[in-house]
Amino acid sequence: MTSETGTAAPAVELIGIGKRFGAVVANDGVDLVLRRGSVHAVMGENGAGKSTLMSMLFGLLEPDAGEIRVDGKTVRFTGPLDAIAAGLGMVHQHFRLFDSMTVAENVVYGAEPRRRGRLDRAAAAARVRELSDRYGLETSPDAVVGTLSAGARQRVEILKALHREARILILDEPTAVLTPSEVDSLFAVIRRAADDGSTVVIVTHKIHEVLAVSDEVTVLRDGRVTGRFATASATGEQLVHAMTGREIEVVQNPRSGTPGEVALSVEDLSVTDAGAGVTHIDAVSLTVRRGEIVGVAGVSGNGQHELVAAVLGTIPATAGTVRLLGEDVTVRPVRERRALGLAVIPEDRRGEGSAVTMSVAENVTLGHHRSAPIGATRGIRRGWMSLRAERSRARDLIRDYDVRTSGEQQPIGSLSGGNAQKVVIARELSHEAPVLIAEQPTQGVDVGAIESIHGRLLEYRAGGGAILLVSHEISELLALADRVLVMYAGRIVAELAGAEATTARIGAAMAGAAAHDAPAAPDPVLDPEGPRA
Amino acid sequence: MHVFELGFIAAVLLAATPILYAALAGAISAQVGVFNIALEGQMLWGAFAAVAGSYYTGSAWGGVLTAVISTALFAVILAIGAARWKADPIIIAIGTNLLAIGLTGFLLRVLFDVSGSFSPTGLQGLPKMAFLADVPVIGPVFAGQTALVPLAFVVIVAVGVWLKTTPAGLRLRGVGEHPDAAASLGVNVASYQSWTTIAAGALCGIAGAQLALGNVTVFTENMTAGRGWIAVAAVMLVAGRPLWLPLACLGFGAAEALGFRLQGIGAPQQLTDAAPYAITLLVLVLTRVRFARRRQTVA
Amino acid sequence: MSTTERPPVPSADAPPARHRAARLLGAALRHPAVVPIGAVVLALLIGAVIILAAGLNPITAYAAVIDGALNPDSLDYTFSVWGFICGMALAAAIPLRMGEFNLGGNGQLVLGGLTAAVIAGYAPLPGPIVIPLAVLGAAVVSGAFGALSAPLATRFGIPIIISTLLLSPVAVAVGSYLVRFQIGESGSAVAQTPRLPEGARMWALGDLSYSNVGLLIIIAMMVVFWLVDTRSAVGYELRVVGANRRFGAYGGVRVGRLALGAMVAAGAAAGIVGAIIVMSSPYRLIDGALISPGYTFAGLAAALLAGGRPALIPVTAILFTVLQVGGAAMERSADVPRQLSDVLQGVVIVVLALRTVLDQRRSERSSA
Repeated sequence: MTSETGTAAPAVELIGIGKRFGAVVANDGVDLVLRRGSVHAVMGENGAGKSTLMSMLFGLLEPDAGEIRVDGKTVRFTGPLDAIAAGLGMVHQHFRLFDSMTVAENVVYGAEPRRRGRLDRAAAAARVRELSDRYGLETSPDAVVGTLSAGARQRVEILKALHREARILILDEPTAVLTPSEVDSLFAVIRRAADDGSTVVIVTHKIHEVLAVSDEVTVLRDGRVTGRFATASATGEQLVHAMTGREIEVVQNPRSGTPGEVALSVEDLSVTDAGAGVTHIDAVSLTVRRGEIVGVAGVSGNGQHELVAAVLGTIPATAGTVRLLGEDVTVRPVRERRALGLAVIPEDRRGEGSAVTMSVAENVTLGHHRSAPIGATRGIRRGWMSLRAERSRARDLIRDYDVRTSGEQQPIGSLSGGNAQKVVIARELSHEAPVLIAEQPTQGVDVGAIESIHGRLLEYRAGGGAILLVSHEISELLALADRVLVMYAGRIVAELAGAEATTARIGAAMAGAAAHDAPAAPDPVLDPEGPRA
Repeated sequence: MHVFELGFIAAVLLAATPILYAALAGAISAQVGVFNIALEGQMLWGAFAAVAGSYYTGSAWGGVLTAVISTALFAVILAIGAARWKADPIIIAIGTNLLAIGLTGFLLRVLFDVSGSFSPTGLQGLPKMAFLADVPVIGPVFAGQTALVPLAFVVIVAVGVWLKTTPAGLRLRGVGEHPDAAASLGVNVASYQSWTTIAAGALCGIAGAQLALGNVTVFTENMTAGRGWIAVAAVMLVAGRPLWLPLACLGFGAAEALGFRLQGIGAPQQLTDAAPYAITLLVLVLTRVRFARRRQTVA
Repeated sequence: MSTTERPPVPSADAPPARHRAARLLGAALRHPAVVPIGAVVLALLIGAVIILAAGLNPITAYAAVIDGALNPDSLDYTFSVWGFICGMALAAAIPLRMGEFNLGGNGQLVLGGLTAAVIAGYAPLPGPIVIPLAVLGAAVVSGAFGALSAPLATRFGIPIIISTLLLSPVAVAVGSYLVRFQIGESGSAVAQTPRLPEGARMWALGDLSYSNVGLLIIIAMMVVFWLVDTRSAVGYELRVVGANRRFGAYGGVRVGRLALGAMVAAGAAAGIVGAIIVMSSPYRLIDGALISPGYTFAGLAAALLAGGRPALIPVTAILFTVLQVGGAAMERSADVPRQLSDVLQGVVIVVLALRTVLDQRRSERSSA
């Protein structure tokens, strides 16, 4: 452990922190030291345990093992309020703001300046201006938060923490929703805060950001620390190696032969939410052929989910067309799209992909309930279901997909995450639809299940299926996809095929680097459809 | 003709006032994110408690106080169930609405040994503001009303201002808009929700008191007759802008008052009774047509 | 995060006998029937406290309720009321299965009764034709009326619970107006239609005077709902949408159409109940007589207590039937006002809502 040269203790010390969720070890013996006045990057892939670690530092979770010290004193946080009182502030990846209120109201909420029992708006606005000036956070106190851009909303979140006198600022994936120029100004703010004596932790998986803004780096993998660096002497390669560890193992991607005809094609698809004035996806075009897995990479919230929803038909497209097996389905209902040959493994398993109170059998039946063997499509039994067929089909799928359950009547909500995901995957794959969309198919799933899911997807491709695979995990995309499209801010900013698809290049494009500094992007891969306004 | 029109305005105000209090109760519940459809039952309970209170204390204001306190207590069921225990507010409200109907009828029999309605001789109604009688314009409109009528508008403005200008008001609004955000900043969400729901009960108590001791001086079984539901619709109509409530409620009051007028010239009571509901639904649809069209052009 | 484990199985080395008893007790407490039964027991206790507070004897009161409803002389009447409450429970339960509340049962009931009174009273057709025709007509009219709420919800975003509540009094008022001024019996002091002709009265069941073939129609409707709910594609879709609306939409269920179908079926069920009541003794539509017994809310209470599950509705309906029928007897012989029945209905629902939460919490804790 680094020994502090100054007399004062480090701002924060985490010693031997451990945390497990059921059988999953999220953190194991993690040590982390944050020097006062420094910018410290905590790096790692999704699922490496960064968020868990930060949640414990901010009092959202309690560690199972280890000790947290703030300014040399051991602390025990029972909630975020304790952490705030100890001088910590956290900016979450998903903002927690009141859209209908002004910037000043959001900043002072819960710690309001008062004058004769009333909210002192002038003082609140003055406070916002004072903090904005001090840290270079450009905002207008009277603007309504709902009308602001993501970057401006993030500044409000930072101001909230600063208003509460936070000396230690945790930023969770702060650049995920920012445009490149907003990233630059955020970094300027971070530097200024650190120079001012604050301690800043930035949680990220983007290498160039770490190199650009931090003083020190701690890298996590599978819940353990796999590297500590002083940024000045670290290289990108070292960080990638510490982060992935797997880069040395060459991922075996058994590429298929020549893909067949186009099964899914999306042309200039846009989805806009006029109410909120947000463009979720902007003129996206892509094609997926039979026998091909097309990966979609991107940091969460860059339009991937809206793309999937618009292709499935659960949200309307504002412009553009969606073709399934050559047929224009842009305005068709979900049922017709599925009937034509579309299956979807959704990202939100509990919210969208299952009904937690219903049994495994009932969950695996949706979409199959009107077709053989469960439902009859013609004759007197049309519209009726055979419960016996439902049960026996469910039992078969439970066996084939190795779902650990006490039986097909067990509620899916009581299964572990991985087993519930297998049920969802069994349901969707058993459609044997020509087109499959798999959105984060291995999220929250243990290692064994990941392998089996990956195997299933490769089999599906070998059987002539066309797969659109949306994932945050670069390693997953490299292992499975024939081509990788990268989404950033609602647009496809890069298409990388074969040898071009490397962790570094996908990662750079995910961070918006391709759109940001053009020279870094190699020639023909940028935006295959040519420039669009 | 002039007096006739002012008289009509007075009738509109009279019809609108109970709905206005109940709608304000619904609106503040909505502000903290509790879907409150218990207004009908709470108002009915308030009406009964007002009459009983006035009967026992011999003072109409004693009745109002009884109504306010006991209806707030009645609302504790919803407050604890929905806000603290996160039970379904709709099911609780269906239950408490039935409970109010049953309990008022039951107590009418047990306490006063009557059924149907209760108006003993000497039951004190709320005093009218007769001292205003000679003031031009205001006189004809307000002289025949109780003080609770103008107070309704004062209360609405006060609540609106309180929500806008005090720290507690700010926190209350935040609780409804984004409970997680409010909780992460140290605001006790369940506490704001339950106290607001209880305050809403108190307002329904006033609504019931005005209905039973102001509009008339009698308690009749099920005398709220759906006014609580119209209040719920009014809350939907103004969609979180409490200062618009008076307008919505005056509209419904006008429908009811117009119904009385039409009855006076021979229209059947059955049809005029239905008018407020039909008009409420129609207004809801009309305000949503714009919304639906906007959504369509987006799609 | 979402690693919900099954309830931990106790370790094997714990003392086995005590353990098994505890486990049996735990399993018994987790049984799905515990919540509704607990709600009823608690409600009866609260009712007893209320009766005591009123200075009366709860035991005599409850004994009078049971005797009034279940003594052999009144069983005929009790069964007919049970049928009506079951029918109105269907009107509430069908939409409830997909998570929607139909609180407009009164309006649907009245329109059905009105339609039947008009058809049965005025169509010059023989009984075997006019009786089914009247029932069917009632189903169509009330079904169409119930259906109005579906587009109001899907097109205009007005929740079904609100629109049914606002539409209902309009229908009730129109019915009342027609009975009073248009189709009423002239010269009668009470607003009522003329007695139906002999041939247009619901077929009797043997020599029973209250229960008739209408009861069989309602039982048939319940069987159909049970079949549809458990083994038809539509019933499956209703349950899926009720359990998780987004899951249904994602799986290709057309939620808007389903709501339309559910509201048509609910309205039709209520309409048929109205028709049967009108075509039963005293064979006429009396203003207010369809609503005042409170079948709509007793049915809603039964549906809520059953959680919308068709197989449980006949059972939960028994409770509210006993309260309803026995309430009058209780008033006569124990001097406890019959409104206590409404109080108990309300208490059952409130307790049920609260108990469900306790149950949820318990299962969450055991799976944490």
